[in-house]
Amino acid sequence: MTRVVTTLLGLLTIVAVAGLAWGDYPVPPGELLALLLRPAEAPPHVEMIVVGLRMPRLALGILAGAAFAVAGAITQAIMRNPLAEPGILGINAGAALGVMIVLVGLKNAPAYLAPPAGFVGSSAMALAIYLLSWRNGTSSLRIVLIGIGLGSLAGAATTTLTAFGAITDVQRALIWLTGSVYHADWHDVRMLALWLFPPFVLTFASFRQLDLVRFGDTAALGLGQRVDLVRAMMIVLCALISGAAVAATGLIAFIGLVAPHLARRLVGPMHAKVLPVCALVGALLVPAADFLGRAVLAPVQVPAGIVTALIGAPFFGFLLWRHRNAAA
Amino acid sequence: MPRPEDCETLCLETKGLSVAYSSALVVDNLNLSIPSGALTALTGPNGSGKSTLLRALSGLLSPTHGSVLLDGRSISRFTTREVALQVGVLAQGPVAPEGLTVLDLARQGRYPHRPLFARWSEKDTAACDRALSLTGMTELGDRPVDQLSGGQRQRAWIAMTLAQETPILLLDEPTTYLDLAHQIEVMELASSLVRTMGKTVVTVLHDLNQAARYADHMVMLKAGRIVASAPPAEVMTVEIVREVFDVESIIVPDPLTQTPMCIPVRRRP
Repeated sequence: MTRVVTTLLGLLTIVAVAGLAWGDYPVPPGELLALLLRPAEAPPHVEMIVVGLRMPRLALGILAGAAFAVAGAITQAIMRNPLAEPGILGINAGAALGVMIVLVGLKNAPAYLAPPAGFVGSSAMALAIYLLSWRNGTSSLRIVLIGIGLGSLAGAATTTLTAFGAITDVQRALIWLTGSVYHADWHDVRMLALWLFPPFVLTFASFRQLDLVRFGDTAALGLGQRVDLVRAMMIVLCALISGAAVAATGLIAFIGLVAPHLARRLVGPMHAKVLPVCALVGALLVPAADFLGRAVLAPVQVPAGIVTALIGAPFFGFLLWRHRNAAA
Repeated sequence: MPRPEDCETLCLETKGLSVAYSSALVVDNLNLSIPSGALTALTGPNGSGKSTLLRALSGLLSPTHGSVLLDGRSISRFTTREVALQVGVLAQGPVAPEGLTVLDLARQGRYPHRPLFARWSEKDTAACDRALSLTGMTELGDRPVDQLSGGQRQRAWIAMTLAQETPILLLDEPTTYLDLAHQIEVMELASSLVRTMGKTVVTVLHDLNQAARYADHMVMLKAGRIVASAPPAEVMTVEIVREVFDVESIIVPDPLTQTPMCIPVRRRP
């Protein structure tokens, strides 16, 4: 566990330094270090580029990555399905629709409305999936199918909004929707951190509940867990986390699917270890995807959400193939 | 190690119990008293309501009519956790999450004993150690459950239920899908829990001869009703087997244990 965490933190440092140093105006690592140690002596334009532009972008990537990853770990445990992920289940699409309604539907919507709108969207979607797939317990396959269906419905509604909205609002919304951290500023970072803090604390404190709930209703009830209550609480936490992350960065796909799987590979299935490691993996993947998106086709910036989709889609296929023999 | 006497007195019974799944009665007006400190086998043909009765006994299924009484009080009036402190359940064919070790599985059994956010205690460790040694799984503690053989896997799950340290244990078809050696292993374990620890064990069994050999009390169900509920010698008769299974049989004493053994002859036309 310690080795895994150290390695991940090491990789995160490398990605962070790369992300802060690389760009139209390269800042060599030496200068970065000088800036961090003696901020007063640094040239103002370097400080502006690093502290004002690249750092919030990095911080937002880290927070959003951790958020998507933890939301994924929660869904995989409560739905007892390795393919469950807020993105695939349409929970993120619900959040996106919520935010889109605010951005396009309201004239000059203030930015602070985005996270609550995302939360309302994601919770409505989570609730709808849960209710529609409930039939004496929740079968994994039905949840995924209904989630995919509702997700495309929300996607269609989002697209419809873009067709009828005012052009400037739509443009702003579309840039956000692709899933990117480019326009990050410290205000976005603070808002996301505040939104994530309470659900993160509660989720991490509930590791024992998550360990047990994935045994299925009979076993968990038999051991004295109030399964329906735990599941409902976990869905609310997941909706809070996804809603806030989507409101901040748009749709960054597949982190919620990939990160928990990698975490379980690294530290086994117990949530006391899975949750922190999975948050770290997510925190590493989004800034890494953002860096790749900036570096590969420079000066064109490919949004992080597109990079993660390019990597994540084959991974999803791989998981389906690996579970091809499992009962639905 | 003998258990405290309260295991002897904690009793489980049903009063006019009926359970229906979407209006089809599966268990029909049952009055059954489970003997304490004994092994009770629930037997009967497919669809006779054995597993449903077991689930109702565990409080996991709410009755349509009547009630299950735990120590004289309706089980539905206990909280899930209170029930889990008295009754351990092993479901049919449970599936462990990928990569979960035997020890981590056994540790789940401590869930009802630990208040929310309480730390893992010495007592919890002792209970898990005891559960693993009773099931002979101590050496396999670090192995992932999904890599074990069928018999070992079943023992790992029993270890989890034992770590729960409940006076009553309900097992749903613990020997189904196991080969002969592993079936014997599981039944010997169940019967030793009764003999040496004074636990009350109720188990659904498909094999009549297995039931007759290991059980102190045998319940024969047909279409949701009890046809017979008594010691195996009184339940395993040509007449009752004919009535319940529609099968003609010969009953002979088991050469080893003298318990009744059923040799089926043919299905009744």
